[in-house]
Amino acid sequence: MKSILKIALGIIAALGGFLDIGDIVFTTQAGALYRYDLLWAVVLGTVGIAVYAEMCGRVAAVTGRPVFDVIRMRMGFGLGLVALVASTFVNVLTVAAELGGLAIILQLLFDAEFSLFVVLAAIGLVVVVALLPFGGIERVFGYCGLLMLVFLATAIHQGPDWGEVAHGFVPSLSDSKLYLYFVVGVFAAALMPYEVHFYSSGAVEEGWDESNLRENRLNATVGYALGGFLACVLVVVSGFLFHPVGVDPTDLGTTALPAQGAFGETGLLLALGGILFCVGGAAIDSSFAASYNLAQFLGWEWGRYRGPRKAPRFTVSWLLILFAAMLIVLTGINPVEITEYSVVLAVVALPLTYLPILMIAGDRSFMGKHANGMVSRTLGWVYFAVIVVLSISAIPLLLMTNGGGG
Amino acid sequence: MKKEGEIFVVHRLLDEQILDSDGKRCGRVDDIELRGNPPRITAVLVGEALYPRRVPRRLRRLARRLAGPERWGASALRVPWEKVEAIDAALHLCCKAEELGLGEGDDPERWMVRRLPWN
Repeated sequence: MKSILKIALGIIAALGGFLDIGDIVFTTQAGALYRYDLLWAVVLGTVGIAVYAEMCGRVAAVTGRPVFDVIRMRMGFGLGLVALVASTFVNVLTVAAELGGLAIILQLLFDAEFSLFVVLAAIGLVVVVALLPFGGIERVFGYCGLLMLVFLATAIHQGPDWGEVAHGFVPSLSDSKLYLYFVVGVFAAALMPYEVHFYSSGAVEEGWDESNLRENRLNATVGYALGGFLACVLVVVSGFLFHPVGVDPTDLGTTALPAQGAFGETGLLLALGGILFCVGGAAIDSSFAASYNLAQFLGWEWGRYRGPRKAPRFTVSWLLILFAAMLIVLTGINPVEITEYSVVLAVVALPLTYLPILMIAGDRSFMGKHANGMVSRTLGWVYFAVIVVLSISAIPLLLMTNGGGG
Repeated sequence: MKKEGEIFVVHRLLDEQILDSDGKRCGRVDDIELRGNPPRITAVLVGEALYPRRVPRRLRRLARRLAGPERWGASALRVPWEKVEAIDAALHLCCKAEELGLGEGDDPERWMVRRLPWN
């Protein structure tokens, strides 16, 4: 009974922590531009992250190896270094995007100078990480992220034509480059690599072993499926409200407006609170991911569970990454733009981190009887093919559509 | 896995995480020293100074200029094979990291670490 409760709580945290600024920006824009047409891409991305995270969690539980440990082992130093540099670049950009998102929401809630909130948000994150243990961080942000359920209530309140919504789950391609750009964006936003870097290192932080495999499977399937469902809800809500009137939600605050339309001030506050916790949690996850990667690749001591005294290089690199992200936001680039770049560049770097995991997860000499079975192997390689295609097309689409500007 | 007998050097040893007898992470296997005929592993080598020779041949000169031992003064440490206790999901040493000079960057006695605000 106790273990069921623990697993349920883990799933709730996975659900609340699923969405980040990339999902929020891309789903809202996809809804505004193409109404429900891109729902299938959300599903495609969600299944992708579930497959990938399940493998990473399983490898971490069975062998005690998080992602970049595996990358250094399987790709060697040279290619591994390429993966490290690319991932770190993307991760720092992601931290910047989340930090900027936090500052925007804080600015909407407490009207004052944007740059002040950027600095306050960064300091706030340091305080939260210093005070809370690892599991606590995940749960606080995960549970509070459930405020996003206000969007589900909004969708039901709006009462869209559900038949039309269902039609959006049927994959469709068009030769519009902007449409294809959003297919890549929505898919990539669900499959951000920092999520698995963080997830697998978190499994080591929490001392997972083979007894946690069921929890891992449920987190990845049920937890991420519910998270993906919430991402679909964002598309529907935005498609219902913004598509007919042709609003282009380039401002993060616009995302919360449908909840205000449905439930007034309370709805708006709940939505802003939900976004705040989702983005805040993602800021911590992505900044941790960046320093996990660095420490694991170079063989340093790492982990929140070791504490800053025992893992000084890890802690210092985390602070430096947060600081670098803060400087990027303070340059004044629109955080929504930073988000788009971080998501699209992430899909370019993705194959380099995905392939070694796929290789290790299928290697019986490491994984024994927990190596990939038929289902994981097939899904794993199918998704690898999808990721390679998308990562090749991402940059050309980004340039041709002028960064989604059309 | 036992440390005697045969081992797939590149598959299971090179780039492996090193843990000391307290389970402290203290570097990765950056290179391997082989001697004799047939070759036997006599030591594993650890250190930033070895990084430049781990990149593709064409890039080595550039790597050495950017991060070579001449520039940063980083040294390579030699971990004698006798100090290796076991190899499973990581390479376990039978002594403390400090005895071999490993993991110095995380050593609380080092002045740079000592001056961190939380120490």
